[in-house]
Amino acid sequence: MKKKVLSMLLAGTMVVSLAACGSSDTGSSTDTTAEETATEETATEEAAEETEEAAEETEEAAEETAEAAEETATEASATGSFEAIRLLNGKPEIDTQLQDLAAKYLEETGNTVTVETIGGDTSASDELKNMYQADNMPDIFVIEANQASNWDGMLADLSGEAWTEDTDFELVDDSMGTIGFPYTVEATALAYNADVLEQAGIDPSTLTSPDAYQTAFETLDGMKDELGLTAVLGWCAEPANLGWSSGTHVFGQYLDAGLAQDDTTYIDLLNDGGQIDEARMTNFATFIGMMNQYSDPELLIDGTYDQQVAGFAAGKYAFVTQGNWINATVTASSDYSGFAMGFAPYAFEDGIDTIIAGPPSYWTVYSDGDVDAAKAFLQWVSEDSAQNILVNDAGLISPFNDCQYAAADPFYESIKSYMDAGKTSGWHTMLKKDGLQNETCQVFADYAKGSIADAETFTSTIAKVIAGYYAE
Amino acid sequence: MDVKNTGKKITSLICLFGGLILMIVALVLDFQGSELTFRGAMLVLGMILVLAGMFTYPSLKHHRTMVNIVFLFPLLFTFAITVIIPLILGIGYSFTDWNGIKYTEVVGLANYTKMFTQPSFLWSILITFLFVIFNMILVNLVAFLLALLCTTKIKGLGFFRASYFLPNLIGGIVLGYIWQFIFSNVVTKFTAVLINQNYSILSDTHTAFVAIIIVYIWQYAGYIMLIYITGLNTVPRDVLEASAIDGANARETLFNIKIPMIASTITICTFLTLTSAFKQFDVNLALTNGTGSVPNFLGNYLTNGTEMLALNIYSTAVINNEYAFGEAKAVLFFIILATVSILQVRISNKKEVEL
Repeated sequence: MKKKVLSMLLAGTMVVSLAACGSSDTGSSTDTTAEETATEETATEEAAEETEEAAEETEEAAEETAEAAEETATEASATGSFEAIRLLNGKPEIDTQLQDLAAKYLEETGNTVTVETIGGDTSASDELKNMYQADNMPDIFVIEANQASNWDGMLADLSGEAWTEDTDFELVDDSMGTIGFPYTVEATALAYNADVLEQAGIDPSTLTSPDAYQTAFETLDGMKDELGLTAVLGWCAEPANLGWSSGTHVFGQYLDAGLAQDDTTYIDLLNDGGQIDEARMTNFATFIGMMNQYSDPELLIDGTYDQQVAGFAAGKYAFVTQGNWINATVTASSDYSGFAMGFAPYAFEDGIDTIIAGPPSYWTVYSDGDVDAAKAFLQWVSEDSAQNILVNDAGLISPFNDCQYAAADPFYESIKSYMDAGKTSGWHTMLKKDGLQNETCQVFADYAKGSIADAETFTSTIAKVIAGYYAE
Repeated sequence: MDVKNTGKKITSLICLFGGLILMIVALVLDFQGSELTFRGAMLVLGMILVLAGMFTYPSLKHHRTMVNIVFLFPLLFTFAITVIIPLILGIGYSFTDWNGIKYTEVVGLANYTKMFTQPSFLWSILITFLFVIFNMILVNLVAFLLALLCTTKIKGLGFFRASYFLPNLIGGIVLGYIWQFIFSNVVTKFTAVLINQNYSILSDTHTAFVAIIIVYIWQYAGYIMLIYITGLNTVPRDVLEASAIDGANARETLFNIKIPMIASTITICTFLTLTSAFKQFDVNLALTNGTGSVPNFLGNYLTNGTEMLALNIYSTAVINNEYAFGEAKAVLFFIILATVSILQVRISNKKEVEL
């Protein structure tokens, strides 16, 4: 009998302990996911650390704000009072500023927004899939333009919101309406070191044709020692870790350079079974060939992003093939001498004078979430006090026309001049088929290595690769 | 006695019904998406009551089975949640057009037929098999030689054993990045002088493949070496002594005595290297991420020259966002590995009988 009682007790404790493990999850699901994602995410150690801190912060903030929300709920401002909502952010570098933004929102309106940050470029969308399967969707989340169709029918239509009148950059889908809120504008083209160009007597505004570039590159190459340059260009075609740069951003220049913001000629052609315009691609390839020739040979084939940006910051390269997201790394570098910088177009055909600028990703609202609260928050973000944080603290460039703040970004002046002149092209490279960049970046690498010998071979190879990929 | 039994019966029935009701209510609440946090506790309480009811029922017939089930439950439950259910779901998804979020239609075997017409996947299968064959031979050879070295009477034996085993303790991703640095910053210094090639061997498909094999051997040989050392130490000393007295030299002892005596160890190591080489992922991801060009494979220009099966499945699903297609490939991968494992078990069992 004693044995029986003992076995019952043992079995009982086992079941209870299991139950304890199971039921403790239900209460605080948001916090645990934030923590989990923080530990799982190891794209970069820094990012992971940041998010981990962020997760802790969010927890604390959530606790504090929950109490505060109750107190202030009664005296909520004109925007009305809403339940707490969650925002999934995909840019770890602005996590702290977004936490400030949430705190400010609470202070001004009494409503709570919890910011969860996932680092890296593809991982936010992966994590979203997990969250969707676990029925744990945030109310506002980040997507890239070509991911919209995956979420067909699950995104709230934001048309008619006041902020849509104030920007040209919202994401509009034919069937779903206005679905994406632009929170920043990013630009990419050939970033240049203005001081070096000035010393060499080159006016960047004249760089609008392949010939002008040829002359400029030759001049710079001849004055390398004088200017302290290692090479004219810091261009890196390494495919394993920098495939996103060549396969998405540089390839995007073929799709958009020289076109108006809403001109989709080449992306439409591409998405129609993977066709390319051969003449345009050959010109593009010739230009890339010239870049290969004047790039730092040590960097060209197996350099890394860090080497590329560090070299530019140290003044070793006159040009670098990145976008304005390098600003923080460049200005924080100990080798940075304070030189001015700007963007020059990829002028692979005569008269190309635009840079690619626009939101690389958007905030969208989950239609089964708290749509009204999310809309109120997005409207507030487009207004003055939020823009102050995003522009001045986070260093983002505002997509809103009436934003009165000039970004701290050293590229801002250059980007602004293109935006004011209407010389910006779209980020249509984000609309290409998922994963295409991993195919095309290899062709760039082979071209840089010399196993693809000339522009014609490059064109025929990339045409074959793209057509093959779209055929699958 | 009868009264006592009836009393017992009634309590047990009350427990049973109470427990069942609690469980059902908890489940209904859960399916309705209720916010009540105590529904989990309710479910568990219901389960305990049902169990108690069954146990107190006046019959001792099934007590042993019940106790067994209760004690096995945690393990079975975890196994089902983490292995069985995902496996079934995965196979199910492979017949649809699932994109990780939702699926719109069931496509039948389309994913399976598509996978054998995709040149990049065929290439992945081909190089995975090549990689497995190379590794199976080379890792075992290197490991066996190291084991022979580490069973002789040299000085600092412990140090050598530990340092050969050490790479196995470093995670594959970290190890991959360390070697990537070595290949692109150190090795290039030599190749630039010797063969006038100033880019890393990782940027050319053939040499990158060799690089992955080298790193893999470096990582895995130490582990296999340990198993061989154990095997060599089990060779009975009297047999060795007898052969020495009969005048066998070192080579004869090795080939005629040691190797036959550790035949079962060789089988184990062969299969270990075989399955782990098949599943190669982390070093592949960190070293080359599957890049490398193949100018002409079945008339196609491939860009995934060093992408092995596991990495191919990952990038199909996660990078190219074709989850169902990735699932179909994963099912094939599962079939291959399952066949190998079953073969291994069969052969090992046979060997044991012979011994």
